[in-house]
Amino acid sequence: MTLSSGMQHRSPDRVAVTGRILEGYPKEQRYTLAMLQDIQKEFQFIPRESMELIADYLELPLSKIYSLATFYKALSLRPKGKHVIKICDGTACHIRSSQMLANELYTLLKIRPGETTEDGQFSIEMVNCLGACAIAPVIVIDETFYGKVTPAKLQEIIAQYGDAFGQSDRSGGVAHE
Amino acid sequence: MKIVIDGKVCEAERGEYLLTVARREGIHIPTLCHNDALPGLASCRLCIVEVVEKGWHKVVTSCVYPVSAEIEVFTASEKILRMRKTLIMLLAARAPENETIGKLMQEYGLEKPDRFKKENSSDCILCGLCASACEKIGAGAISTVHRGVTKKIATPFDDPAADCIGCAACASICPTGAIKVQDKSGTRQIWNKTFELLICPDCGKPVVTREQAEYLRKQMQGNPIEYSGDGTVRCERCKKASAADRFRTAFS
Repeated sequence: MTLSSGMQHRSPDRVAVTGRILEGYPKEQRYTLAMLQDIQKEFQFIPRESMELIADYLELPLSKIYSLATFYKALSLRPKGKHVIKICDGTACHIRSSQMLANELYTLLKIRPGETTEDGQFSIEMVNCLGACAIAPVIVIDETFYGKVTPAKLQEIIAQYGDAFGQSDRSGGVAHE
Repeated sequence: MKIVIDGKVCEAERGEYLLTVARREGIHIPTLCHNDALPGLASCRLCIVEVVEKGWHKVVTSCVYPVSAEIEVFTASEKILRMRKTLIMLLAARAPENETIGKLMQEYGLEKPDRFKKENSSDCILCGLCASACEKIGAGAISTVHRGVTKKIATPFDDPAADCIGCAACASICPTGAIKVQDKSGTRQIWNKTFELLICPDCGKPVVTREQAEYLRKQMQGNPIEYSGDGTVRCERCKKASAADRFRTAFS
């Protein structure tokens, strides 16, 4: 297939890492999703060059890979943070002010759902019911559930994750205590 | 095997699609996303019919329903008409200004829906026939992107598609004429890309894009499109005319 214009901006690291991931799979179309999942895990998003490499490797048009990568919510075209904060916006959480949590996170991290902090530490997602309505409102950071979250508690919770508060100048938007 | 469609006894091969059998027998089933050259997509849903098998009734999309038993088929039963009307209304909600959909609404005696107003209404019904054709041709420049309410047909990253050869098969196969292609003063614009149109040396009319001619030459070794590489390619009409001329001189 034709090499796309993104070619000249390819990061050598990403090309090498993607190449290693692809080597683990036979050249068959049915492994495309598995490849994309590995790449998502590795980079926290699907870089353009990785998609181009998959297309070349499987001899498929880039449009096929792009279609798949944009279809699944588990795959992201924009870099996600090291820690993914999921705010449950199911019915129970919604009426227990999940929106206030989103607002509080905005004052803390200066990002809205769907965005990632500049330092790549956090990203926020609004998700549908997580099945823990009894402890609404719920947030999940990476794999950990936090129930009955209040805006006041949020700051404490976020502080446990990484160096976000300590290096707020680098993150470009984290509020000081 | 024998099947009955709308009371007519029809001969069908096992595995043949119901729509194919009906069309062969001259029985009309409306479709939008179907093209004989491509596999059925079953995305527009207009080709639904009622199948009765051993007394059981079921609704199937005839374009992808293979005949495997001696069935009776109703293409316009009360139930089918009711369902098809709903489908047309849904399509009309997506593409309210579209001419093809408008004609279908007229045919089925439907009024323009005033619910679900779309701010940026489009002509595209997202059937995916264009992407299927593009893939079949071998370019694979476009595909469906995203999903749900943000789903659309596009090139990767909305860039001018690297893989597009400007053949405009997508535009010509589109059942609702949703894909814009602009040919003017020797160039063609499609999918944010501008192509040079090669002209016929005999009549001077534009024939194909340079990329398309190159692609065809690569695909069909033996260069059946008489592309000389100098920016000219003979059009079908003039090709026929010159062949006729050759015959005339050979046999006169």
